[in-house]
Amino acid sequence: MKAKKLTSLLLSSVMALSMVACGGAADSTSTEETADSTATETEAMKGSVEGELTVSIWDENQRKGLQEIIDEWSAQSGVKATIQVVGWDDYWTLLEAGASGGELPDVFWMHSNQAQKYMENDMLMDLTDKIAGSDKIDMGNYYEGIVNLYQSNGKQYAVPKDIDTIALWYNKTIFDEMGVAYPDDTWTWDDFVDAAAKLTNDDHWGYAIAPSNNQDSFYNAVYSMGGEIISDDKKSSGYDNPNTVKAIKMFVDMVQDGSCPDLNTISESGADVLFESGKVAMVTQGSWMVAAFKDNEYTAANCDVAVLPKDAKTGKRVSIYNGLGWAASASTKNPDAAWSLIEWLGSKEMQEKQAELGVTMSAYEGCSDLWVNCTDVFDLNGHMKMLDADLVFRPYSKYTTVWEDMQTEKLKEAWTGDKDVETVCKEICDSMNQTLSEE
Amino acid sequence: MGNKKKITNRQKSEFIWGWLFILPTMVGLIVLNIIPIFQTIYQSFFKTGDFGKGNIFVGGANYAKVFADTEVWQALWNTLKYAVVEVPISIIISLVLAVFLNGKIKCKITFRTIFFLPMVAAPAAIAMVWRWLYNSEFGLLNHILPGKTNWISNPKIAIYSIAIIGIWSIIGYNMVLFLAGLQEVPRDYYEAAAIDGATGVQQFFSLTIPLISPTIFFVLVTRVIAAMQVFDVIYMVIDNNNPALMKTQSLVCLFYKYSFTQSNKGYGATVVVVLLVVIMFFTVLQMIGQKKWVHYN
Repeated sequence: MKAKKLTSLLLSSVMALSMVACGGAADSTSTEETADSTATETEAMKGSVEGELTVSIWDENQRKGLQEIIDEWSAQSGVKATIQVVGWDDYWTLLEAGASGGELPDVFWMHSNQAQKYMENDMLMDLTDKIAGSDKIDMGNYYEGIVNLYQSNGKQYAVPKDIDTIALWYNKTIFDEMGVAYPDDTWTWDDFVDAAAKLTNDDHWGYAIAPSNNQDSFYNAVYSMGGEIISDDKKSSGYDNPNTVKAIKMFVDMVQDGSCPDLNTISESGADVLFESGKVAMVTQGSWMVAAFKDNEYTAANCDVAVLPKDAKTGKRVSIYNGLGWAASASTKNPDAAWSLIEWLGSKEMQEKQAELGVTMSAYEGCSDLWVNCTDVFDLNGHMKMLDADLVFRPYSKYTTVWEDMQTEKLKEAWTGDKDVETVCKEICDSMNQTLSEE
Repeated sequence: MGNKKKITNRQKSEFIWGWLFILPTMVGLIVLNIIPIFQTIYQSFFKTGDFGKGNIFVGGANYAKVFADTEVWQALWNTLKYAVVEVPISIIISLVLAVFLNGKIKCKITFRTIFFLPMVAAPAAIAMVWRWLYNSEFGLLNHILPGKTNWISNPKIAIYSIAIIGIWSIIGYNMVLFLAGLQEVPRDYYEAAAIDGATGVQQFFSLTIPLISPTIFFVLVTRVIAAMQVFDVIYMVIDNNNPALMKTQSLVCLFYKYSFTQSNKGYGATVVVVLLVVIMFFTVLQMIGQKKWVHYN
């Protein structure tokens, strides 16, 4: 009797499993996908066998174009190279595990958040001599901030790959509806604030800020108004600069007067999601969002992009930029092939091709012109012209994430209005100086 | 008794085979659980360098920092709040469901399956679906209910919204355990109780609960431990810029932040050691408390 009951219980759980398997429910597919991606992730982080290179990146949108460029290299060199894509968060977790265990991929992307740590611990191949002996690569040809980022103790550890700019994306339909003229290069931050107020009604907001991504939100205004986040020598915080406070206050005031959604709304939906669903008229977003906005039916039909506003007083129009670098593992079994691939990816022709294929704008100065034509849905001059504005490299230090997390956390009290901006900036300044002194 | 016992061949072979059979589990436990526990405790006394190199011994400095860190205490409080809501409610609901599904009703197996389904889905997928249900702008909940509630970004209620996700996900699992417990209870008891005129509710409280108290105890202990280690739901639902972050992040979330986002593995280790001590405290408390209410026939 007991046995029979147990069997029926077992059967019911088996049925539960089979129902999910056959039902083709969303749940089952997602489980399978997770399993699949874990498998490829482990694969991606392993070293390679002779005559074959593993290349790791985190952006699926760029895979196709890059594979095309890499295939051309394989045809010439006879070395096969495959790209493995691992999502941003897992990328760093797995890369760190790989670095500790001595099993890094051969060639991979580096980013300003982590570069310092990897360079100082000799995890990356030293490219200094190889660059000196190359006729294709000259560090003078790339945007300076990206070159400097991948330098440590006078050695170069990565070749710049791309550059991004921030621009003002706007919803033409909402502008037309509210009778406001489209943004152009005459706009100042004051015009921007006025327009945001005019574009706000019960259905939509004028502007949405993405407070957790500082590069595409308030950093641009801070530097445009003459403020700074971190001093040039990376020893002290710029939050005691009155212009920094002024820029942040501008955004806080917009939240307070309702032309920018409150923090609750943004933390749940995100500025890009609100923009893609027609809930906000303007967002400031990076050029990496072009692919997403292009694929979204709503933004493709209703939106376009213009340059960021300038500051009336300083006259400066600033885009905070960042750029990835191609780095190789210090312990790769195939150093010559790895360097040859990096040299290929950094060469003028391939940097031009990268822009032409619409992968990203290129880190090689003057190679990005063709990027403008990669889509006819938007007028990408909004992003392109930001390259001619004042380019400021994204503020960073050795432990950027530590003070960035603190900054995001403390600024919340300003966005919600619980504390005034001056007090919050003072607190951030003290805490950041403390962190920087320990670096 | 005083004689020296001679080990027979049979005993010897049983001894060898016995150890051989538990060897795979032992090796797994030691390599994957026990050694890492001691490594973590060891690590909590260091200021760790990058990639596991250049660790500096700092003695109790990390612990001093933990005790002075209000964020850690807030996270501990959040974790306890989550456990206090999730564990009892999920146990009550799943116990009641198990009793109903153990009785004579139609489509019993179908219902059992439906309640078990959340257990089969990936936790990350569940969290994403709930995140959209809770969304204040586009979410289904605010669409149906009047008013605009910030379910997951209002610091006062966010932790309870998350606990609801936890309850929903675990009901099926608890229910299957309770069903297994209920199968063990002989029918005769209920028949006797019915003859004596006991109502269904009386039967539930005076018969069912005492008789399956060992199962309830098992579920309680394991669920409290699991609830104290809550991470994935909070990590998926609460963003970095969420104003409710401070009031929702659990100790494991803090551990993740320090160890992996900020690469401060020593301090991260200290946070989990604190969690370990807290969990041990509550488990010991339950072990002592069980004598009062758990009946092992």
